[in-house]
Amino acid sequence: MPRLPPSILRRAHAIDRFLPPLLGPCRNLRAAQNELRWLREHVDKVAKARHAKGDTISKGSLLGDLVRQRARGKPLQYILGTEYFGDLEIRCRPGVLIPRQDTAASITHLVHLIHAAPDLPSELRLLDLCTGTGCIPLLFRHELFASRPSISLRALGVDVSYTALKLASHNFQRMRKLHPASFNDPKAIEFIKADVLINPFSDYDGGSSIKAALNYHRASFWDILVSNPPYVSSEAYRMTTERSVRLFEPKLALVPPNMDGDGNIAVEREDTFYKPLLTIARDVEAKIVLLEVSDVHQALRVARVARALGIFDGVEIWRDQPGVSEETPSSPIDDIPIIGAGNARSVLCWRGKGAQWLGKHAVSLTPPTPAYHAER
Amino acid sequence: MTTTPWVCRNCLSRIAWPSIRRIRTSIRFQSTGSVVESVPPALLARARNIALEHKQLTDQLADGFDTRAAKKAGEYSSIVNALKEWDKASESVTELSSLIHDSDAELRELAAEDLDATREQLQNASQSLVTSLVPIHPFAHLPCLLEIRPGAGGSEAAIFAGDLLSMYQAFCNRSGFRFTLLKYENVNGTQEAGVPLSEAILEVDQENAYGVFRCEAGIHRVQRVPVTETKGRTHTSAASVHVLPSLQENSAQNEDFDDPESDYYIDQKEVRLEVMRAGGAGGQHVNKTESAVRLTHIPSNIVVSMQDSRSQPKNKEMAWTLLRSRIAQLRREKREEEMVAMRRSVVGVAKMGRGDKVRTYNYGQQRVTDHRSGTTVHDLDDVMEGGPTLEKIMESVRGWLMEQDVAAMIFEGDTKKR
Ligand SMILES: C[S@@+](CC[C@H](N)C(=O)[O-])C[C@H]1O[C@@H](n2cnc3c(N)ncnc32)[C@H](O)[C@@H]1O
Repeated sequence: MPRLPPSILRRAHAIDRFLPPLLGPCRNLRAAQNELRWLREHVDKVAKARHAKGDTISKGSLLGDLVRQRARGKPLQYILGTEYFGDLEIRCRPGVLIPRQDTAASITHLVHLIHAAPDLPSELRLLDLCTGTGCIPLLFRHELFASRPSISLRALGVDVSYTALKLASHNFQRMRKLHPASFNDPKAIEFIKADVLINPFSDYDGGSSIKAALNYHRASFWDILVSNPPYVSSEAYRMTTERSVRLFEPKLALVPPNMDGDGNIAVEREDTFYKPLLTIARDVEAKIVLLEVSDVHQALRVARVARALGIFDGVEIWRDQPGVSEETPSSPIDDIPIIGAGNARSVLCWRGKGAQWLGKHAVSLTPPTPAYHAER
Repeated sequence: MTTTPWVCRNCLSRIAWPSIRRIRTSIRFQSTGSVVESVPPALLARARNIALEHKQLTDQLADGFDTRAAKKAGEYSSIVNALKEWDKASESVTELSSLIHDSDAELRELAAEDLDATREQLQNASQSLVTSLVPIHPFAHLPCLLEIRPGAGGSEAAIFAGDLLSMYQAFCNRSGFRFTLLKYENVNGTQEAGVPLSEAILEVDQENAYGVFRCEAGIHRVQRVPVTETKGRTHTSAASVHVLPSLQENSAQNEDFDDPESDYYIDQKEVRLEVMRAGGAGGQHVNKTESAVRLTHIPSNIVVSMQDSRSQPKNKEMAWTLLRSRIAQLRREKREEEMVAMRRSVVGVAKMGRGDKVRTYNYGQQRVTDHRSGTTVHDLDDVMEGGPTLEKIMESVRGWLMEQDVAAMIFEGDTKKR
């Protein structure tokens, strides 16, 4: 990590003695000032809560303590205990991956695309594999309710980690309190444990494969499948992934094992999840599939695998901000359209009715009008 | 709710003379606290002219019905009635005042008894007469944004900017106005008071707030010995206050955003949205907390950025509110420039400009002077605590503003006739 110029450190110190340690993880003064403000607000809140219980704490020493933790690289989200995912303040805990803005942007855009579709089923079924904090089904529900309250959503979040599942359920309960209108149905979202890499036909499926789990829950068909699976290669984990991510977030959520449940070794280890995910998508007859990826190379590999399956009517790649058009739109690679601005971030596949829900017209005589314009 | 129409960008005359309306809530606010003691002669003259015109109109109507004349007469009738009341009260006061010096003791006593009540009547009548005549600012009924920034004078100016913010917050608290700190940046990134402020935007979420606060716009000057000054010298520094009418996304006037005639209308294609991204590979590789949003209105090159909240959508929403307000203000200013140039030649509206000192806070003398109304008060502490003394000054400026408006109105009326 390049050293910070002493002039910045001096300037930071002149403003507030807590700023210089925050410059390490934040890298610039603006970000450090923001974080310090949020930490102070947090300390005030904690002090107030303790005070209400007849307890007093020293705000100065608590703040000092938190700043030290942050300076060592602990993610601010774990310190404050939450992260914003779209409009939702999602609870975060060590052991479970912190939700990312990029993921929220894709999910928001997906809902934005489908919300006006005339032929959405009155109950829309969403399967989220590798759900972590449960942020994806929660945001999907919240956004869909805002634009199309008459459609009810039935969502299922799946993860192998008990820690994650516990937190996801907690988040659902939390949202029911914070946004009672969007989350009025206590059964709308459920979370179950399953391993998406276990092949249901292999010998050692002790009932923990996704297929077994779905059968058990009598829920074999899903309209939309989304997943943000582990996708970091071991090399990128060493070279590209931020120190704070490596030191504090669970590796299970980031780096895939190098073989799937069948003992098949993926050529690119970081791609381990995608084939099993697409197979599940086929089996549950998903009409729309949205898979997050690491970069444009992985996006293209995943898109090709999806195409080779021969079941989808369309495949495209979304960038970090799929709703924002670049000044010079990217031209398709291998006939695969690339949409939005930023890094390549996910692969979208659709078939059957999915095309209409997304506003894609399978057969169109008129040239497609650009549906993407700068979002507000 | 008021039904004030959005002022069309091209109808200059609407601003100058937004038709004669009945007393609006904004004026009611003006009438709390201090009272209109007398009617400015120019206004009185105007009222008498209108009464004459009204008489002609009613005569005309007696001969045969004419919709336009009837409408006009209807508009004028409140003024005519107010004038009648005023004439009556003013006559009684004059009469009683002369009786007070009468040689007859009994009569003197009787007159004295009546005089107070009659004086009060006169005050009320003056109030109604003035308010029936004065043009109402087209945005007076809206909530507003107060933007406070330090001006010349280094960190002392920044401290004073913080003092002004606390002053307005205290004033709002005292008046029961709801407010939100939309943006707060002191140089420490904290919310502590007394720490040098770099920018604050206070939203006063109260009907009529723009009417109440628009008199606060301008340069506020402070003269005092800064805490950092070791030799005890008095410094002069300044902070600027910018007041914008505010229209929130969720307010009742929502539909106006889509009306290209509205000052708040923004063509979304003309706005560039940039969100601060974590940078680098993104996705699972980074967990930065960047949530800043920047909007650029391309035609006017107005840029607003927001990063106070950890939630990007929240920042986006606040940035849009701010952008709309800034653009509306810009449009309005442009439209009014012409007007001001015209008024400047007749009345001293020049003092109202953004670049002019409007008020001085002198700590050594515990004095606050407003340079527009010419009012001086001596309870500086009460002013800074947002107390009744501040209200008194603001009141005086509103009165002054009203006179300017009236003078301009009369002037424009005259030029139009010619
Ligand atoms: C990158 S995180 C995504 C979490 C969440 N969906 C989000 O976007 O913030 C991947 C998640 O997959 C889970 N996971 C890892 N291996 C899995 C497997 N074989 N089957 C199911 N879930 C798995 C991890 O526990 C982790 O919560």
